[in-house]
Amino acid sequence: MSVRAQLLVGFSILTMVFLVDFIVNKRLSGVIETNTTYLNNSEAVIRNSNMLHKEMIQMQSAFRGFLLTGQEVFLEPFYEGRNTVPVLIAQQQAILSTAFQKQRLDSIVDIHLQWVKYANSLISTKLDTLPGANAKYIELFETKLRTEVGKKLNDKVRKIFISFDNSEYQLRQERRLALRKSVDTTNKITLSLTIFSILLALVSGIYFINMITKRISNMVKLAEEISRGDFKIIKDQKNDELNRLSIALNSMSMTLKKTFSELTKKNNELDQFAYVVSHDLKTPLRGISNIVSWVEEDHPHELSPDIKRNLELIKSRTGRLENMINGLLEYAKVGKVQKGTETVDILKLLREIIDLVVPKNYSVQIDGVMPFIKTEKLHIEQVFSNLITNAVKYNQSEKPKIIIKARDLKEHYEFTVTDNGIGIQKEYFEKIFDIFHTLQEKDAFESTGVGLAIVKKIIDDYKGSIRVESELGKGSSFIFTWPKRLPTN
Amino acid sequence: MKTILLIEDDYLDVESVKRALKKADIPHILHVSHNGADALNILTRNEDKVVPDVILLDINLPKMSGLEFLQIAKSYSGLKNIKIFIITTSSEEYDKITAQHFDVAGYILKPLDFKSTTNPDVVKLMNELK
Repeated sequence: MSVRAQLLVGFSILTMVFLVDFIVNKRLSGVIETNTTYLNNSEAVIRNSNMLHKEMIQMQSAFRGFLLTGQEVFLEPFYEGRNTVPVLIAQQQAILSTAFQKQRLDSIVDIHLQWVKYANSLISTKLDTLPGANAKYIELFETKLRTEVGKKLNDKVRKIFISFDNSEYQLRQERRLALRKSVDTTNKITLSLTIFSILLALVSGIYFINMITKRISNMVKLAEEISRGDFKIIKDQKNDELNRLSIALNSMSMTLKKTFSELTKKNNELDQFAYVVSHDLKTPLRGISNIVSWVEEDHPHELSPDIKRNLELIKSRTGRLENMINGLLEYAKVGKVQKGTETVDILKLLREIIDLVVPKNYSVQIDGVMPFIKTEKLHIEQVFSNLITNAVKYNQSEKPKIIIKARDLKEHYEFTVTDNGIGIQKEYFEKIFDIFHTLQEKDAFESTGVGLAIVKKIIDDYKGSIRVESELGKGSSFIFTWPKRLPTN
Repeated sequence: MKTILLIEDDYLDVESVKRALKKADIPHILHVSHNGADALNILTRNEDKVVPDVILLDINLPKMSGLEFLQIAKSYSGLKNIKIFIITTSSEEYDKITAQHFDVAGYILKPLDFKSTTNPDVVKLMNELK
């Protein structure tokens, strides 16, 4: 599966989890809302029930008052109640939701109607007999009032009202418990979903980081190895974008490897070529110079001065050509001779070279602590020898002077060979390291232009660097670095 | 008077040796072969066989190189006691070591100059020719 698809799946799962969480919470808020509506409704029911009961009690008080006093003015609340009670009942019926509460209300209505009927009959009889009592009233009074018909009805209504209200309170309590429970459940679900999604995010995050960083670091390692010239390949079995990158890296590595081995082969061929050519070129050259010598030997007195001068020119030119061929040969041989490394005492080496190539009238100064370096002795010897020879050769000062310095850098030693000689113009700072490049007229100095090319080639092989600082007429400094540790290839 | 066999393909080098011998004033009889095969022939033929005191041998030769000649000559009972001096332009370590392996009398870099008394191999050759 591609990295993109894997990331997509991971994020989709997380999104799903959050979606579920959202739905659960949404449902909970629905439950809370219905409960709140119910509670509001329930309060209205209780309020109505109280009003209804109160109205009924007022009717009863009015009724009793009238019976006791015979004053019709007492009956006003009774008449009013006959109008308002039905309205209140209708309202209550409209907002009641449970069947058994409705049933209770119905029985209250029933009893109330019975009572109203009973009260009406007593009231109308009483009114008829006013101001004196008559037999009908007395009969009713004795049979109904005295036998507590009205009181019994009133007690019954009161009991139903009490159980009606109790029921309503109980329902409310149940609802409240149910609501608390569903809030609890929702909290639990939300918490566990959150924990789950955090864990999922963590696990998939770690998975991706591991998968990607490990493989990327492998590739970085490969790229570093390639840059060091170590052409390896990496194994990556997965089938995704990173795998395509590693395939590309591998093929780059392989191409480079192939190209490099071809380049090495070509370089070797070139060295071989240079060696063979210079070797074979020397034979006829020596022949020419031999023939010139023989002509001079065989005819010591017969040659005109012109011919003698021309023969001299031939000899000097063939001599220069031979020097150049020798230089080419030496250049081609650089790095070929590997005698193995040893610890070289640079101070001792410098003294040997100075003894060999520096004339006595030159002053030589060695500054700084000269190190011991584990390296191929011949190579560093060639570098110093060429630089010191140049310092001697290109010096026309009256007090010729050579200063050799060393500095310990972190991974390299830096050496400087300074002279107070003729100096070099800035535009030639690079060119002087090219093979056969000389800045002097050929006849003025016997120079082949190979020395610095050899120096540069050796230092390049050691992955060091060389540069020149110089001012015309004042002298030159050649500054080069030599590694403390040998380069790996 | 010593007999010398010079095995050398280059006319100029032959001339050079002749002049060097003449300059050093060494009386001698000189035979010249231009390659190893021809040299083997004149050394081993039945009639008119050349029996040199000293062989001067170049390494870079056509048909049969000096080293190949050396290997064959040293395996011949009639030839292996003849003193052989290598005279060559080759300063290759390989050539030198191979030649010494075949027990040559000396290894001299061209040009041959009898005046260079500092070269022990030249002095040795000089002594052989006296």
